[in-house]
Order: sequence, then C-alpha cells, then structure tokens
Amino acid sequence: MKIVVCVKQVPEVTNVQVDPKTGTLIREGVKSILNPFCEYALDHAVRIKNSVPDVSITVVTMGPPQAKDVLIRSLELGADEGILITDRKFAGADTWATSLTLAEAIRTVVPDYELVLVGKQAIDGDTAQVGPEIAEILGLPQITYGVEVALTSTRRQVRVTQEVEKGYEVIEASLPALVTCSKGEVVRRAPSFKDVINARNKRIRVVSANDLHLPEEQLGLQGSYTQVVKVFPPPAKKSNLLLQNLEAADAAKEIFGFLKEKRFVE
Amino acid sequence: MLNIDHEKCTRCKVCIRNCPFGALSLVGGSLHVNELCTLCGACVNVCRFDALSIERKKASPEELARYKGVFVWAEQDEETSPRKPRKVVLELLGKGRELADKLGEELVAVVLAGPGEVDTEVYGENGADKVIVCRHELLDTYSTDGFTNVMCAVITSKKPAVVLYGATPHGRDFAPRVAARLHLGLTADCTGLEINADGQLVQTRPAFGGNIMASIITPFNRPQTSTVRPNVFPVPGKYIGSSIVEEIFPVTLNRAAIRTRVVERRYLDKESGVSIEDARVIVAGGRGCQKAANLELLQELAQKLGGVMAGSRAIVEQGWIPHTRQVGQSGTTVGPELYIAAGISGAIQHVVGMSSSKTVIAINKDPEAAIFKTADLGVVGDAVEIIPLLAAMIEEKASS
Amino acid sequence: MHEIYSKTAPEVDISQVKHIEGFETIQAEYSAYLSDESKLSAKPFDYLFFPKTEVELAAVVKFLNQQKVPFTVAGARTGLVGGCVPQEGALISLEYLDKILDVYRDETSGEWRIKAQTSVSLKNLDSMLRVKQIPTLEQSSDEAIRRHYSEFREDPDQYFYPPDPTEMSASLGGSVVTNASGARTYRFGPTRAWVRGMRVFLANGEYLDIPRGKYFSSPGGQFIVYNSKGGATPITVPDYPQPRTKSTTGFYAAPQMDLIDLFIGSEGVLGIVTSVDVALLRREDKVSIIQFMDSDEQAVTLADALRSEGRIQLDFLEFYSGNALDLLRRLQREEPSTVGMPPIPEDAQAALFIEMSFDPHQEDLDFSILEAVINSCGGSLERSWAGYESRELDRFKVFRHMVPETINGIIAERKKQYPGIHKLGTDMAVPDGHMREMWDLYRSRCEELQLEWCAFGHIGNNHIHVNILPRNLEELEKGMQLYEIFAQRAVELGGSVSAEHGIGKIKAKFLKYMFTSEQIGQMQRVKKALDPQGLLNPNDIFSVEVTA
Repeated sequence: MKIVVCVKQVPEVTNVQVDPKTGTLIREGVKSILNPFCEYALDHAVRIKNSVPDVSITVVTMGPPQAKDVLIRSLELGADEGILITDRKFAGADTWATSLTLAEAIRTVVPDYELVLVGKQAIDGDTAQVGPEIAEILGLPQITYGVEVALTSTRRQVRVTQEVEKGYEVIEASLPALVTCSKGEVVRRAPSFKDVINARNKRIRVVSANDLHLPEEQLGLQGSYTQVVKVFPPPAKKSNLLLQNLEAADAAKEIFGFLKEKRFVE
Repeated sequence: MLNIDHEKCTRCKVCIRNCPFGALSLVGGSLHVNELCTLCGACVNVCRFDALSIERKKASPEELARYKGVFVWAEQDEETSPRKPRKVVLELLGKGRELADKLGEELVAVVLAGPGEVDTEVYGENGADKVIVCRHELLDTYSTDGFTNVMCAVITSKKPAVVLYGATPHGRDFAPRVAARLHLGLTADCTGLEINADGQLVQTRPAFGGNIMASIITPFNRPQTSTVRPNVFPVPGKYIGSSIVEEIFPVTLNRAAIRTRVVERRYLDKESGVSIEDARVIVAGGRGCQKAANLELLQELAQKLGGVMAGSRAIVEQGWIPHTRQVGQSGTTVGPELYIAAGISGAIQHVVGMSSSKTVIAINKDPEAAIFKTADLGVVGDAVEIIPLLAAMIEEKASS
Repeated sequence: MHEIYSKTAPEVDISQVKHIEGFETIQAEYSAYLSDESKLSAKPFDYLFFPKTEVELAAVVKFLNQQKVPFTVAGARTGLVGGCVPQEGALISLEYLDKILDVYRDETSGEWRIKAQTSVSLKNLDSMLRVKQIPTLEQSSDEAIRRHYSEFREDPDQYFYPPDPTEMSASLGGSVVTNASGARTYRFGPTRAWVRGMRVFLANGEYLDIPRGKYFSSPGGQFIVYNSKGGATPITVPDYPQPRTKSTTGFYAAPQMDLIDLFIGSEGVLGIVTSVDVALLRREDKVSIIQFMDSDEQAVTLADALRSEGRIQLDFLEFYSGNALDLLRRLQREEPSTVGMPPIPEDAQAALFIEMSFDPHQEDLDFSILEAVINSCGGSLERSWAGYESRELDRFKVFRHMVPETINGIIAERKKQYPGIHKLGTDMAVPDGHMREMWDLYRSRCEELQLEWCAFGHIGNNHIHVNILPRNLEELEKGMQLYEIFAQRAVELGGSVSAEHGIGKIKAKFLKYMFTSEQIGQMQRVKKALDPQGLLNPNDIFSVEVTA
C-alpha cells in the first residue's frame, strides 16, 4: 500500500527576527528545516511501514526548487520516493491554492494512495488548514491531531489516537483517509550515514504546473482567495522588572510581595 | 451550477440521502437536481464516482453585496445541560457585534446541537440579533463530516458576509473543510478583526511563530471566514433586555455521511483535564523544571493560588504533562489574570499563547531568556528552588 | 629580527579604575572571583581590579609593580587547572576588554582576520561570524574599520574561527595563553596555529605589539626587549625539544622561534595578552557521524586506520568507550529526552565520533573509502548516526559533551557523601603508534583495581581523557596513584601530561615529569627576565615546591 506524506520546508523560526526598521523578516543566517510536525507525520508512516509488509512511502512537497532538501531529509528518514511540486506559477499560493495543488498532484502522480499523512500545522504559517483542505478536495475522511496512527488488522481502516481537549479519543476511518499528526517520537530519529548516502539515490520526481490538470487561474497568487495586505512587527512588549543575583529565599520573598501587591494572595 | 455526469452516475442514491436541502431525486431513472440546490457541495463530496461537480465563479461586486450578516459558529460546551456556548463564542459575539454595526448588518449565532435543550437567550444577552438553531441527533457530539455538511448548508442558504469560528480544536478541524468545499478564503487564528473603508474584513494574525503580524483580506469571495483565537477579545458586557429571534434551520443528515467512528474515549481525570483555557491563575513549567517529578512543586503552587498547572510544548512532547495543558501556538491560547512561567525560555510560539495574560511572572536561570521580555516581574534563578519556598510562604500566610 | 621595543601607555589615575579592596568585601560581594571552573578555592587576596581599557590596565600593573604586589589575571574563568584563582595579592579581571576591534583581509596571505580584545568569548565570536554582524564595527568611528567590515559583509562566503576548545564560553585571550585545543585540533591544529598577532603587557606596565613573522630568536637563541627608558632585557630561549604530540605543558621553545610563540601557551606568567589577531577560515558544510563499534579495541583500531588513510580528511576523530556509552544509556532510560538522541543501539560497545566536510547537495556522494576502512575494522556504516543540518550538528555536539557533563553530575552527587571526592580526568597525549599501548594500560589498570571509569576524547590526537569516578576516598587515593602511573608512561612514550589546557596550579606538579630540573630552570630564567619580581600569576606552571 502507498502512504503519501505531505511535508513542508520551513525556516527554523526560533531564529527569525524582524527588522525593527523595515518590519520585514531578517532571513540572514536562518536555516531551513523540515517542519517538525511533518517529521512526526513521516515518523508515523515509517512506523507503519516497519510493522506491516508491502508499504511504500511517498513524500510530497510544494515549494521552490530548494525545497528538495526536505524531500532528501525525508528519504534519509525512511521515505521511498519524493515528489517535488515546483513552478513559478505556484508562487504566492494561500492555503486554498496550496491545498488544491497538492491534492491535484497526489491524485495525478500517486493515484493509488491509501493513506495521506500530514503535520497538524507548519511552524511558520501555523494555519493547520492545508490538511483538512486536502482531505476535502480529495473527498477523504479526516482525523486531526493524531498521536498514534495504525492500520486495523484488515488494513482497510486507519485507527488514530486523537488528542482532544479532554484527553484522547481513538477514531477509525475507512481508507483512503487523511490524518494530521501532532506528535511523533519523543526524540527525533537519526538516520545512519548509509541512509544519508542512499537517500541520494532514491527517486525524486519533479511536477510542474503543466503536469497538473488545473487551469492557470487556480494556481499560486492568482488562485488564492486571501491576500496579504500588510505585514508588520508585533506590538511592543510591556516594560518590566528583572531581578538578578538573588538567593532562592529572597527571590521567593520578592515574588510573594509582588503577589500580595497585586492581591493574588490576601 | 451542479453538473451531473449521467455516464458516471450509478444511481446509488448516496447523494440524495446526504443533500441537506432535498434538492436531489431520481427522475425517470436518472439523477435530477431542482431549484432547492444551494451548491453547498455535500453531494459532490460523498459521490464516490466523480459524477457530480460544481462550477464556481469568482463573484462580482454586485454579487458580493448580496452576502449580508456576520455569523458566529456558536460552539457548544458538550458538558452543559441545557447546552451553553463556550466562552470563545461570547468573545466572538462581542467582536462580531462591532463588525456587524460597522457594516450595518445583523449578527447571527449559529448553533449546531443535538435534540436536547439549548440555551438561546445567552446569544441575545451577548449582542446577537438572531440565533439559527440546527438540530439533529448526529450533531449531539462533534464530527468533522456532520458539522461540515450542516455549516455548508447554512452558509449557502443564508449567504452571510462574514463567518467567524473559535480557533478551538473543532473549529480548526472543520472550518477549513467548509472553506474548501465552498471555495472560500479562510484566515486561521486571527487576533485582530476590523472592517475597512471598502467594507472588507481585515483579518490580522501572527505568522512565523508570532515574529511578525500579517493583515489579510478576502477580496473576491463571500463569506469571508476566519478562525479566531480564544482569549484575545473580551467577553462583551450583557445587553439587557435584548430579545433574540430564533430560527430553526432544517437539517438533513445521514449516518453514512459521517465517515469517522469513535471506538474509544480515554479522557483524563477531572483534575488533569481541567481547562487551562478558562483558568484564572496558571503556573506553567518548561524544560527548566529539569524533570517530571518537579512539576508537582508547580502543581502545589497552582493549587494554593487557586489555579491550574500548564506547560510548554517542550515538556508536553516529553510526556511530562498531557497535551490538554499545553500553552502556545500549537497548544491552547490562555488569558489568565496571573501567569507564572517557571523554567520556560519563552520561545515566541509559547509567548503567543500566553501574551494576553494580565499579569506575568517569569522565573528562569538564563538572564537572557526571552520570557523576561513579556513578564511584569522577572526573576533570574532556579524555579525548582524558588517555587517550593514561595508555596511555603503562601501556606504560612494562609494559616496565620 | 630578535630585538623588540616595548611602549608605554598614557598615564591614568589609578583611583579611576573600578576596584574592590579587602578580602572580606570581595568574599561577600564578588564571590564568583574566588574560584573558576576547576573549583579550586582562592587564598585571601587584597584587591580586585576591573580595568575597562588597556590604559587603565597599564596603570593597575604599574601600581602593583611599584607596590610589589603579586597579581593574578582572569579572563572568563573557565579554566580547569585553577590558573586564574588568586593565592595572594591582587586579581585583575579583564572581563571588560571584550570588544571586537576589526575584521580585515590580510593582503599577503589573503585570509580574513579578526582583531579582538582578550575577553571576547568564543561563543560570541562564533555567533557574530555566523550572522556576519558585529555591532561594534558597524558603529565604529573609524572609517577604515567600517570599510573593512562592509567588505567582510559583502564577501559571499561564511567564515569561522577553527580552534574549538569545547568550552565555548571561554575567552579568546584565555584560549591563546593556554594554547587551547579541542576536537577540531585534529585537522586544524591547536590555537597557536591561528594566532597572527597580539599585544601583551609586561610586568612593568609597558607593552609589546607582536605580529607573527617579525621577531625571531637569534641563532644563539636570544631575544632582547628594550623598554622605553632604553633598558635592555635579554631572554634566552630554552633548548628543549617539543614533544611529538600536542602539548600545553611549559613554554614553547624552538630554534629561531617566533617571539609570539613564547607567549602563546605561557599561561600568562610572562605577560598579559590584551588583544589578539586571529585568522578565519571559510566555513564548509559538515556532517557529524557517530559510528558504533563492537568493542573499545575495535574502535581504537578503527581510529588508527582512519588516521593512516590519507585519502580521508576528517575534521575530528573522537572516541567513546563502551562504559561511557553505558553512562548515557542509563541516562536515556531515566529520561529519554535529556540525551536528545534515539536509544543507543543495545549492541554498541564503543563509538567513534567523526566530522568531515560534506556537501548535502552533491548528486553522487562517494564515501566508499570511508566505508571500506570501517568495514575492514569490523564496523558498518549502517550502524551509525549521521546529521548535517545546523540543528543536527548542534544536537550531535550536545551529545558529544554529554559524557563529561554526566560524570560531573555523578561526582557532585558522591561529594555529598564524601566531600573530599573529586573527578580524576587525564589530559595526556602520546605520539602516533602508541595509542593502543596506552589504551591497554588504562584499561588493565582500571579494571585491576575495579574502579568505576570511562574514557572519551580526542583519539585522533592520541589524546583520550580517562575519567575515574571514585566511589569512596579509598578509590580516590587509588585513582590518584594510577594518574601518576599514566602520566609517567605517557611521558616515557614521548607524550605530554597536559595536551589541552595548560597546567595552571592544579597540574603544575606534572611539569617535573616532562622536564628535567635544568629545563625547568631555563623556563624560570625566561620568566625572571620578563618578570624580575615574580609578580605575574604566582604559582602558575611553577608550583611552590618546584620554585623553592
């Protein structure tokens, strides 16, 4: 069976700073990585592959040509082939246009997929929309916030432990289905150097706008329903008091005094 | 319009059973669509044979002007009886009222619920002009497919200009499905909403983990739809004596349309399941707490302050606390009166989730920790040492 | 040229320099200055100075010189041998001399260089180079410096400072005066190899500017330093040969040596280094690999094989013994996330940690030679971990440092029961070809005495740190005896007892293992010439018993 994992290349956002003068992102020295939640999705796919026979994993990404890096990273971590959806015509896509393009590419290039796994959100955009939108476009049932993903014994359904506000629910859906993943292994996997070398011999197919059956006006910026009109730095933080070089007991006293002053303790 | 490919159609009737408007029927052995069709797309979605499709065009300004009203999805607290809305719904009604007034249109709450009793008065009290109630036994508990189908039916039939959802797990689960089915723009996790001079909804949201803010419009489609973070907008004051118009919206929903099945529920005990979203006091731990056992110190302090314990993504992923207590961009947005951050470095993703706290105290060993920029009081030190001393002082004070 | 002239700094009133007087006040308010990373405790001292400029420093030194007050000099206080822990007199903290002064391209060599004050931390230097942002240069009032800086920014390549002495909060100057080395010394040599110039203040308060390649000792082995008053001080360079390993024990000496090399690694007993010029290297993409092996001996064999395979260029080659991996496994069982790596394979009984250049975008990666060497020693590339993204390199680096940190934790725990207990970590290197012999000695002796121990470190330079973890005072005593046995054997094999970080006060006693009393006498004559009153960093290198 074929599992499709959608992955995204994101800047390592913990390092992203905004230029206070221009309000734009300082990208200098900021590395790109595989979105952690996408890595979790891949992690679940690899675990399924390791537990049942005849599973192959196709990773799909849409982005500029350098997004190939996250495909290679995925191939090192256990995926079997990669699909790079790249074309200048895809640039500026909002979540809708992105989802449409990804869904169409999956339909065209991996028509025999049975399970689609995606990260619950990307750490740059944080919309959590692309997964459900792909599911809708492909007409698949969806399960979001998965922390455990497994096939049932018949391999006709997927069984997902889903994070809900009160705890967990275990949910089943018939295949084909789409699952968004919120957590993987506690510690990130480390491929062997052999895996790293071998990943470079695995197949990566490149898909451009011409390969998809979508009219041009549905692609990229043109096909987007939302438009960004302004980008600006977040409002300035409040002023504050920082106490240093205190013994623990004195620190506790200071906090206690503050809590009293603010009437959190009577 | 709805296109039917009669060659592909097998006349399985699945679409007929799933049409919320009764617009489909078999006429002379072939599928027929009548004038009741609202192009909600439920049938296209359930057809397994690709026999149905909808052609959609971008609307002209005149068409756009036909969409009126600000709709708020009134997510129900499934624990209450009669059913009451979650707090975020009231926050959305407050903001929605402002938007509706600016547009000179109605504010409408949309309730999806089971057959049990529903409190509808509360919507009037919080500023709504009208409440649309969709009832069906399959809406008693949430399902992606059930809620998507019904919401699409409401939107296509009522044609609102704006639809707002709380960015709760369920809101974030089905709002994008509705948007994809109806070909709508959707902006996630908004923290600011306003109407500009052209009557467009300007949606502001953090991006890049909160390092930057983006303002977004949806120029060619209606409704304009957004999910909105809880605890960002205030709950409005009560509108005294406002009466509410209640409209029952007929629902057609078939069990077969719901393609997911809950086979097991593993709810955490009441204590650990306590909602951090609505907490007045939160004591939150991060990696700096060093080990899971130390979180008991935080729990104790939280108890003494009448609050709850929460944590950063780092410690949730290590399994120290359940995800239900995760504060931040990929967890819950909180807005307590008091937030104590213990051993949390303050990655922007975390800060975004707690920056609407009224008072923040941060304890961290690293004087450079970003959390100090957000704190009213910052203390450089080891939280594991300081917290128990603080708890003891509060205890002493209480017993004296 | 073997003659050099020292210069005087402008006069400044000593009372203007921030200083603390009286041991009680220092103890109460500046307790951090009573020790360093070695945890050696200071003996009472009377003054603590914080000069903010070289001019202020000159005034302090002149004052102490006139008063005949001995003084110790501190940088970032990250040393492990108590070098900057005062025993008497005064302590001068150079922490305010922490500015980058210039980044410039040297015309002759074409290399980029950084001129920086002594207390710039290696960590800050590294992060400034990573983003190519150096605020002090951007805001410099000197037009030439701003021009250099913008030329540097415009250079499309990334640069780094190659010496990597593990402790990145160390100061640049401190790493120069200790000739610090670390993992990357395997490829790039010790700090000495990257120093291109320095300014050093002498005990009389005057200073020398010494660029590399200008002042060499005369064929007779002499330098002459002229002070501003015309006085001449002859210095005779010792005539002992350097060990055939990296070494930071005693003064560097060689025929017709560069004067700068006398000060590099001198641990501050000849002068106070206030600024240095160091060379940068173009940064390349790297891959870190942890190669698991079946036994310690297999790993030692593989290390030898990798070093002798000329077609493989590694940046570093590090070793983890089986019992070091066991320590980490124990940690992983308790708290999987603290180690930050997947579970260590159950069958791994030793590991080598290597880093090398690696272009992740290259189409046909050919590492067949590396693979053949590993296979020939009984290993397999499938039993490895590899990472090359910057966050992965960081993660591997954290893992690399986890063994020593874990050991420190265990020792701290045991100290609670036996306050006298401390870690016993060796810092010995031996020449190529002797690592296996040394390893067999380490292993057999530790096992014979049934001590808890493990080993890790720079096997590429035949420089493994053996760490003994005494469980009681009796084991501590046994361990200390072993330490001396190991040190003697290392010297017999032509190695060094302190290869990495100098000997300061704590390891000063080992000087006599490596040098004859005649040779130590030669060193002391150099010291006496430059610091006739013996005021500078008393008790460092030359411990009390030796000088007596």
